[in-house]
Amino acid sequence: MVSRSADEGSGSLPEGFGKGPVPRHVACVMDGNGRWAARRSLPRTAGHLAAETTVIDVIETARSAGVEWLSLYAFSTENWRRPDDEVAFLMQLIRRAVRKHAPLLQARGIRCRFLGVTHPRIPPALAQDFADLTTLTGRNSGMTLTIAFDHGGRRDIVAAAQSLIRDGVPPEAVTEEIFAAHLPFPDTPDVDLVIRTSGEQRISNFMLWQVAYAEWVFPSVLWPDFRASHFLDCLHTYQQRRRRFGGLPPEQNGEPQP
Amino acid sequence: MSHAADDSAQPPLFGPGSQFHELFDDPRWAFAMVRATVLEAAHPQIGAALIDNSTFVIHPWRRLRNTYLSLQRMFGADDQVRAKEAARLNRLHTRLKGRDASNRPYDAMDPGVRAWVVATLFESAVTMCRLSGRPLSPSAVERLYGEFRAYHAAFGDETGQLPLTLAEFWVYYDRMVEEELENTEAMRIILYKLFDHLPAPPLLNGLPTLWALGRAVVGPALGAITVAALPESFRRRAGLPELLGAGALMQGAYLTVDLARFLPEGWLRPQNIADLLALSPTSDDPRARTVTALHERMRRAGALLRLITPMSFRPAPEAPSPGQRSAEEFFRDVLDQTGDGYLTWPDLAAMARELCGRLDLDEPAETRLYDAFADWWRELQTALDTDGDGRVSAEEYAAAAPSLAGPALIRTAEVLFDAADKDGDQRIDEAEYRALFRTAFHRDTTGEATDGTTVYTRGAFVRDFLSFMSGRRLSTPYDPLLAES
Repeated sequence: MVSRSADEGSGSLPEGFGKGPVPRHVACVMDGNGRWAARRSLPRTAGHLAAETTVIDVIETARSAGVEWLSLYAFSTENWRRPDDEVAFLMQLIRRAVRKHAPLLQARGIRCRFLGVTHPRIPPALAQDFADLTTLTGRNSGMTLTIAFDHGGRRDIVAAAQSLIRDGVPPEAVTEEIFAAHLPFPDTPDVDLVIRTSGEQRISNFMLWQVAYAEWVFPSVLWPDFRASHFLDCLHTYQQRRRRFGGLPPEQNGEPQP
Repeated sequence: MSHAADDSAQPPLFGPGSQFHELFDDPRWAFAMVRATVLEAAHPQIGAALIDNSTFVIHPWRRLRNTYLSLQRMFGADDQVRAKEAARLNRLHTRLKGRDASNRPYDAMDPGVRAWVVATLFESAVTMCRLSGRPLSPSAVERLYGEFRAYHAAFGDETGQLPLTLAEFWVYYDRMVEEELENTEAMRIILYKLFDHLPAPPLLNGLPTLWALGRAVVGPALGAITVAALPESFRRRAGLPELLGAGALMQGAYLTVDLARFLPEGWLRPQNIADLLALSPTSDDPRARTVTALHERMRRAGALLRLITPMSFRPAPEAPSPGQRSAEEFFRDVLDQTGDGYLTWPDLAAMARELCGRLDLDEPAETRLYDAFADWWRELQTALDTDGDGRVSAEEYAAAAPSLAGPALIRTAEVLFDAADKDGDQRIDEAEYRALFRTAFHRDTTGEATDGTTVYTRGAFVRDFLSFMSGRRLSTPYDPLLAES
């Protein structure tokens, strides 16, 4: 994968790579598709089309670098406000991508799942494909790929609160661990590293609970141009940082969730 | 049966050594039973009783297993078991009476009706041997007839209904076919609706596509085989279709199934098959675990197949949201046991019947349970039947569903607890639980671990029953009992 990258050249890992631990859970906010297209005087949809290559590249790189959990922010609860044409195009594109890459993901031993996916506007056929991919890869033990689709971090927190109340947990019994156990996919560990491309520096309601102690990097490259080399650069940046979790001991990586 | 079996000139009427016992484990029974059921349903009184009371369209697998077990008890060597089963069936049939759509009365205890049921079973057994090219010898037919007469006598009916000799029987049978049988609605449902809409057995519940595919081929074939095996004169009178090749298909099917006799002994036991078909995937039976594992692989294969086939694939019906089901689903899956779209007394009676059968209840416990269900029915009717037509529609139910747990339902839960608590120690222990649910305690069955043993208290039992019956919770042990086939 690395050897394919144009700007890094000869296929060597970035200097210093491998000296610190690889982040266990990496999340990507895939930003900049629209701008990428605008710079080329192409319709916005062309940017989304170009993003597919990056997604596959990042999945492959993360897997071979030893990342255990990869989360991609594909579509937020706010994205429904985009023009109908663009939303419809995105649905179609994602459906094609899921179907096209399903055998590959399965062959790579990647466990796929979809975070969110509740909006009634999601076409039933797409929801079926999501469910099928989840079923197909559900027992894989390689990297876990979480696609946040129709996702909102606040909504997940509200859902956890609702679930707690429904179960009749007394208020004094609610701890952070118990609360986290009521979030969707409670086995997901805290995010160690968030990569947001295109230089934007916002959280945008993404996995709010899980990014509490995450390191953030903001490469200026737009998502369709983001390649394996950039991803490895981000991992390298992460390894240079001293994570403190608000305290003094410079641990690396978040504690695993119970 | 009571005499010693050393007298070889007098073979036993029941149990090992009898003619029926030789046929009992025969796979051809699958066809013969369907054929007998169709001939029963063509009898106007039986047809009406089936339409009103039977659950076989919605729960055919449960019904198949119950019928099989009942026959096994009735034809087994043990006279006590037979007497008990006959008494149970009598009580069950006493409750089946009413009027059909054109206001003719029906009564499952009518001696003529009961004789006809025995006659169809006997005649189908004889025909099944003829159709597969290995007819029984005349003496064997005589013996078999004697055994079926004894079976009929075990119910305590007057003996005059079934003719004394075989020669007279055929006259009686032909006259019934010629004069009494009709093209009833129940018969049409069995022939054309049941096979085309046969629900998947519980074990295959998660594979709708696969099941629908197999059923699309097998369903019409089963119907054609059954029709072709019916008496010619009746086919003509009832206006049943003569399909090209159906006769050959029918004989081929009987012949093929008969070849199963060359399988090593024990390979094909109807008992095992009937058990397997009625087995729930949540049961702790090791076979269920094997099938569940297989099931999981097939689910994944199905997912892959859908993902790699061209996009036009129709999405499968949506999976129910975990934990809860809608009022409509609960109405369809649990309450409407007869599948006619309405909740009426026969629906609740069918639940009571299934529970009595599971718990092997005798009088007066059985009557208590039926009475409790009857009171619950009156409560439901009063609360829900808003248009006053005497039955509760799915819409009427959905409109009022949240307010369902009335005093009569609570009373039903308590009576059921008393019936299930055989030793009366006010708790359901492991064995009592297994009798009712056919599985071991589930982990979530709020067991209070006093002295380390798991028990199920009255309070927890009543609470669980109420939350199931008011449709609030899915995946309880009651699902395999009342909701699945």
